[in-house]
Amino acid sequence: MAKGKQMGLSRRQLLIGAGLAGAAGMTGLTACGGSGSGGGSDDGSAALTFTWWGNEVRNANTTEAIEAYTKANPGVTIEPQPGEWNSYWDRLATQTAGNTSPDIIQMDMAYISEYGDRGALLDLEEHGIDTSKFLPGTVDSGRIDGTLYGVNAGINTPILMANPELFEKAGMDMPDDTTWTWDDLMEIAAEVAKGADLDFGASSVFSADSMFSAFLRQNGKELFTPEGLGFEVADATAWFDMMMRFFEAGAIGTAAQISEESTKTLDQSTLAVGTGAMQVYWSNQVEAVNNASGKEMALLRFPSTTGKATDRKAWYKASMLWSVSSRTEEPEAAVALINWWMNSTESGMINLAERGIQPNTEVQAAIEGELSPAQQAVSKFISDIEPELAATPIAPLPGGGTLGAVMFRYQTEVLFGRTSTADAAQGFVDEVTSNLTV
Amino acid sequence: MSAISELSHLKVSKARTPEEKAARRKENSRDNKAGYLFLLPWLVGLVVITIGPMIASLYLSFTDYSLIQAPQWSGVDNYVRMLEDDRLHNSLRVTFVYVFVSVPLQLVVALAIALLLNEGMKGLSFYRSIFYLPSMLGGSVAIALLWRQLFGTDGLVNQVLRLLGVDATIGWIADPGYALWTIILLHVWTFGSPMVIFLAGLRQIPSMYYEAASVDGASRWSRFVKITLPLLSPIIFFNLVLQVIGAFQSFTQAFVVSNGTGGPSDSTMFYTLYLYLRGFGQFQMGYAAAMAWLLVVIVGALTAVNFLLSKYWVFYDD
Amino acid sequence: MTDLQTRSATAAPEASPAREPESRPVAARRARSVVKHLLLIAASLLMIYPLLWLLVSSFRPTDVIFRTPGLWLNDLFTENYTGGWYALGSPFSHYLVNSLLVVVGAVVGNLVSCSLAAYAFARLKFRLRTLWFSIMLVTIMLPIHVVVVPQYIIFNLLGWVNTFIPLVLPKFLATDAFFVFLMVQFIRGIPRELDEAARIDGCGHWRIFTRVMLPLMGPALATSAIFTIIWTWSDFFTPLIYLTDPEKYTVPLALRSFLDATSGSNWGAMFAMSIVSLVPLFLVFLFGQRFLIRGIATTGIK
Repeated sequence: MAKGKQMGLSRRQLLIGAGLAGAAGMTGLTACGGSGSGGGSDDGSAALTFTWWGNEVRNANTTEAIEAYTKANPGVTIEPQPGEWNSYWDRLATQTAGNTSPDIIQMDMAYISEYGDRGALLDLEEHGIDTSKFLPGTVDSGRIDGTLYGVNAGINTPILMANPELFEKAGMDMPDDTTWTWDDLMEIAAEVAKGADLDFGASSVFSADSMFSAFLRQNGKELFTPEGLGFEVADATAWFDMMMRFFEAGAIGTAAQISEESTKTLDQSTLAVGTGAMQVYWSNQVEAVNNASGKEMALLRFPSTTGKATDRKAWYKASMLWSVSSRTEEPEAAVALINWWMNSTESGMINLAERGIQPNTEVQAAIEGELSPAQQAVSKFISDIEPELAATPIAPLPGGGTLGAVMFRYQTEVLFGRTSTADAAQGFVDEVTSNLTV
Repeated sequence: MSAISELSHLKVSKARTPEEKAARRKENSRDNKAGYLFLLPWLVGLVVITIGPMIASLYLSFTDYSLIQAPQWSGVDNYVRMLEDDRLHNSLRVTFVYVFVSVPLQLVVALAIALLLNEGMKGLSFYRSIFYLPSMLGGSVAIALLWRQLFGTDGLVNQVLRLLGVDATIGWIADPGYALWTIILLHVWTFGSPMVIFLAGLRQIPSMYYEAASVDGASRWSRFVKITLPLLSPIIFFNLVLQVIGAFQSFTQAFVVSNGTGGPSDSTMFYTLYLYLRGFGQFQMGYAAAMAWLLVVIVGALTAVNFLLSKYWVFYDD
Repeated sequence: MTDLQTRSATAAPEASPAREPESRPVAARRARSVVKHLLLIAASLLMIYPLLWLLVSSFRPTDVIFRTPGLWLNDLFTENYTGGWYALGSPFSHYLVNSLLVVVGAVVGNLVSCSLAAYAFARLKFRLRTLWFSIMLVTIMLPIHVVVVPQYIIFNLLGWVNTFIPLVLPKFLATDAFFVFLMVQFIRGIPRELDEAARIDGCGHWRIFTRVMLPLMGPALATSAIFTIIWTWSDFFTPLIYLTDPEKYTVPLALRSFLDATSGSNWGAMFAMSIVSLVPLFLVFLFGQRFLIRGIATTGIK
């Protein structure tokens, strides 16, 4: 039975293939440890894969920019791999495990140390990244333990967005965000909720880890330090206690409303549909919220403990970053593309402020006139707050990207009266600490 | 899995004389070759696509594996950690409630509707399609959005309740006390798949049985109990086994409705959702693999029980 | 009501004995039919509500969808359809065709391979049958999330990532144990005398399978085909992992391209294209279910 034998053989081969595949997966990074030196021909030709997440607007401008680059650099071919935020990370993790991660990766602050710390990302400075024209304070977001794993793709800063119409409806003036304290925020939120008959005066205030970070920084702490968690149970308790004061004052809605709000998309959010007067966002979301609501939102600073905006320890964050896989065969070509992306006016004109305000000041100056009114407002806000900036916070440590979700789970328990603020704070800190893989 | 031994009830026992035995043996050997030939595509699939990854996941369950770095052998660490993981225990509790409530409920609804739609009646094919619609939309993002709107504090459900004079302010999806029940409802509502399988099963019951019964003047109920149920039992059994297995792995509905959080406060944190969040969200694929194998043990045991009990109520014609 | 009942009861003896047994059931049957239709219509409304919502939303601008409850449409906003069709890299028809290719492959694969395996499990006695059957059940108990990475590595090693092969080939190898088991149960419901008779006539297993079993498996095959179509059509995770080139996207991947959780989403276009992609599914079901009904009861074999 020669035929049968043959079949058996091929089946065994396949089995060996499967075994090998398993082994390749197991060895992961180590299998390609020396890939940094590989590939890269001298004539500037290179084949790159490029992945990002976004909606169809971003897909269109990213594709356009890629085409512009390959047109100017005929030797370079780029394979685009667009994705959608939620599933993007599943695919990237699978690709990384399978040794096929794209060369250029749009990265997020929540994940950069997961990948960077584990050696999956390239040290960009070693391969000639150019950030010389960047606004001070905008480069360090992508630095982990001194190594630059990601370049800021757009400046972001946390803000409170407010709906002026609802303040008007409540017969109130817009708050003075340069002098307001946390207590002011509470009183104003409660007043506008009551005056304009809203579900929320302010929403997402306590569930946002950006707000918690601001609170900690104003009290001399941080979310993370290079050694671990940057705060203690007492700080978390104080934060949860403040939440309960806001809650009881009627400033942030009912427990059910707060819980509900957390699952909503930006387009369904309380600010977008007009059931709340203020909401915490990132500055690169202003345009989307304006579009979703059909209104022009006011941009407000976070409150401070002292009533002086210059004490509020503001910061610039990278809305997203450009990273390069450490396993790329074309590190120079990949970095060259990022250099062009961030430092050329041509790219700036295509991308505008869609990923956030351009960190390269020259590019930003060149495109300023092209920006939409919302983007111009954001741009102005970003430069206005420069005197209020303090040190750039470090990226979440590996395992720390879920801090916000863990915090909100304990907050929900408190809001529904299932536990005390002190117990919740203890549980929160314990869980976040145990999640850290340092 | 010896529980499935009922499948191997060979008719060998019926052969008594030596000649019969010999004939039977000959036939069996013919069956042997034919059996493996018919099974060949599946066997190839098992070897090439299925078994390797399964063994890999078993191996990974004994490692510390971040997906980004190579796995490190860690012995039974993952399994020991599972013993102390409160969130895991909670997810098991949530999943068990979900399985034991939603599976029977969905099957009863599906069977009832299938019976209703099985009779000759105008517009049946239209109704059947309408009733299957929710299952087509099933785990889509649009349904999740709709569900959140329906069961929101100001949603349609509360508005209807208010019309009825109930002061309804409950956030059905937002309140940890109710959220799971909205997912159970969503599951029951998507009863289309078991319904279709029941319909197909009902169609396979030879009509002569019913004709004979109606000649005997049997009531509808006794026809249902004496003919429909026994003849449909293999299909009911199939639906039960597969729905239990499927419900334990329920993921999509909770994922989309809770926006991937399993919230509020883990009240819809299904086992597989937690496994996914551990594996992909927190880069602990080794731990996720260990969780997966615990699930296999649990579901395997329940399936075995199902097969054992099937001897007492499932009727095969062969 | 009681009045009516008593009257009909007293009237009965007056009716001719020949008509008596019929007349009551006719009225009762009609009443029952009306009640049944009313029940079905009420239930249909519950079932169809989400689709109506989806349909209505697809005719609203995105910024109106979440601010307007209810199903009343003031004016028809068709730009979601016209704009959504061309909003992605390729016209939406491109993704529909991709999905169609995958679905056709998956249906053929599942029907062929699963029915073969099911016949073996249900009718043939071979060594280790119980063991293989148990293994098959175990394969569907392991959550996909822990096998997807090793599976990806295998397909990548074979050079099949970014092709349709990882989506279709497994179907030809009967990896959907669900359908194998389903067909096993259906075959076991088919009276054994039928294939015994064929066997006595000297038919081999192949002939019994193709000439006796397959024709009798109509409902099972139709069910499997319909489920395969619907599940493959709406599968998101597998194409997500294996298809990276937007040109190869299937419909669910294309639909997600309208969304971004971190900024604005084009819900209107997404809903519109969802409706577009639901139409073929609904038609498949509407027409495909005829085959569900063509069971043993109607093929004349008793």
